[in-house]
Amino acid sequence: MTGLNRRRFLQTGTAGAGLMLAGSPGLLRAQAGQVLNVTAYGGVWETAVRECFVAPFETKTGARATVSLGAPAQWLAQVEASPQSPPLDVLIMSPDLAIVAAQSGLMQDLTVNRIPNLAKIPQEFTDACLGKGTYLDYGVAGITYNKDMVPNPPRSIAEFVDRVSAGEFVASVPSISYAITPIMLIWTMAEALGGGVDNVDPFFEAMERMRDNLVFWGGPNDFFNHLASGEADLGIYFDGRTWNHYDEGATWIDFINPEEGGALTAVAVQIPNNANPLAFDYMNEMLDAENQARFAEIMNYAVTNVDVVYSEKLQARVTPWQQTAFPPYEAIGAARNEWVDRWNREIGM
Amino acid sequence: MGRFALTAFVIAFFIFMLAPILVVVVVSFTSAGYASFPIPGWSLRWFVRIWEYPPFINAMITSTVVAVLATVLSCLISIPGALYLARARAGWANVVATFLLSPLSMPMIVIGFSSLFFLTAVGIGISMTALVITHTVVCMPYVLRTVIAVYRSVPPPYEEAAAILGANPLRTFIEVTLPLIRPGIAAGSLFSFLTSFDNLPVSFFFASAQTSTLPVVMLSYIENQFDPSIAALSTLQLALALVCLILADRLYGIKKMTVAA
Repeated sequence: MTGLNRRRFLQTGTAGAGLMLAGSPGLLRAQAGQVLNVTAYGGVWETAVRECFVAPFETKTGARATVSLGAPAQWLAQVEASPQSPPLDVLIMSPDLAIVAAQSGLMQDLTVNRIPNLAKIPQEFTDACLGKGTYLDYGVAGITYNKDMVPNPPRSIAEFVDRVSAGEFVASVPSISYAITPIMLIWTMAEALGGGVDNVDPFFEAMERMRDNLVFWGGPNDFFNHLASGEADLGIYFDGRTWNHYDEGATWIDFINPEEGGALTAVAVQIPNNANPLAFDYMNEMLDAENQARFAEIMNYAVTNVDVVYSEKLQARVTPWQQTAFPPYEAIGAARNEWVDRWNREIGM
Repeated sequence: MGRFALTAFVIAFFIFMLAPILVVVVVSFTSAGYASFPIPGWSLRWFVRIWEYPPFINAMITSTVVAVLATVLSCLISIPGALYLARARAGWANVVATFLLSPLSMPMIVIGFSSLFFLTAVGIGISMTALVITHTVVCMPYVLRTVIAVYRSVPPPYEEAAAILGANPLRTFIEVTLPLIRPGIAAGSLFSFLTSFDNLPVSFFFASAQTSTLPVVMLSYIENQFDPSIAALSTLQLALALVCLILADRLYGIKKMTVAA
């Protein structure tokens, strides 16, 4: 729910005037010299953001964008500390934190009027952020395996559980210390085995069956080390990261989206209240089909604009989001503490 | 037999402590595109990658500047305080000393989070100034603790003799007290610099495009990238710590400093 107040009225008026003046050389001159503070993860992510989003934004607006490296929890705390004058104008967020930020009233509504490319993003992705954000890209948490050790991999989560329980494989799964374990493992496995967000008993029963043949990873690099060292044969991991390892030379690795659908793990984008109005121009670049296609090629992850055309290589790798399991992030957020408590008591890793 | 068992235990202990560090150092020289052990071949490519990725270099400069400034400020604030508190007999002096040492016993993430909200509320916001202030708070206890420990072992008659011979308080401090407490200052400064340089939980909340420190950039990098450049950076950090220790040993002697600590 949003009310019309003085600030919102002024913001809307500014945006409307902006649309009318778009393309005007005078406006470009006015925007030149403005600085927009945007966010990115480090490494190849940052390089891709600069190349695919920052560069076209700066060319079109004449403004400059600085890129702050870090993590969503850090950026959200910085905006919370200074909501009247946020130090950041566009945030990269995890889906669960995006909901927290939206519910806290810290983020602006996204509309097609202000971000024309939003019309090309499936409505489900914007709804998942309560209208105060949308998804930029997504991956799938499925079954990654060592082809040399597992010539005939399990095709579903149920088969995965049965064969690991029988001792056919040692599996590496995320530990509870990893932030999205409740989503990518607890909820996904419960859902696949007949439970759901209201009933995670099937997950805990499956973990009890598999416990002698499990190792746990605390971070994505641990998982890769488990597979590379032979400590595990397969596990629950992300498609994009799997393909990145493959392209780096680990050609023994492969990925399967399980028949029940692996959990969709997305990257959300949001604009804080009182951000520089140019944030909407920047987000429009982030949601542009051409820019997203280049971003996807660099990152090996699927992107969200429906007009994106992938290369042949990437087309074979990305999973259409309709074939994934779309997590109920809000409900999972409400149940998370209870699940973590139960995990600590029953699994302990 | 007992001596043999003790020697075996000490060797096993050092292997247990050092093996993970050695693995990181070896992995930093791998020729592979991903971190794995044992390594398939030797290469310096991941050290080259550090120089090729500008945020690593910028963050290294930021971390060094912040660590130096926080160490200098810690010394300027802590040394006078330590000199007073070490000799004070009033009961409240212990209370003040405990309060000043309290950052050692508080979770750093709490200090970082609360400092972010406090410094933003007073108008300093996310800036180099805020980062240096918060690092100084975290580093001060190291200098305070070591200088208090050293100064308490200095007999008061040295300074009294200087005063009787006509030296004013400033000259007494420069020519008598300072040389005597120098091992404490050196040890405290060394701990302070290394604590600031490696700090993540506090720096995390003050990171921006201009103020990201090396640990923050490393964390952000490792979230989405899997190459061994982080191992190469860790090796460089380890080398820096070793150089600091060797310099400190040559200048003051590690033995004196460990007594001070």
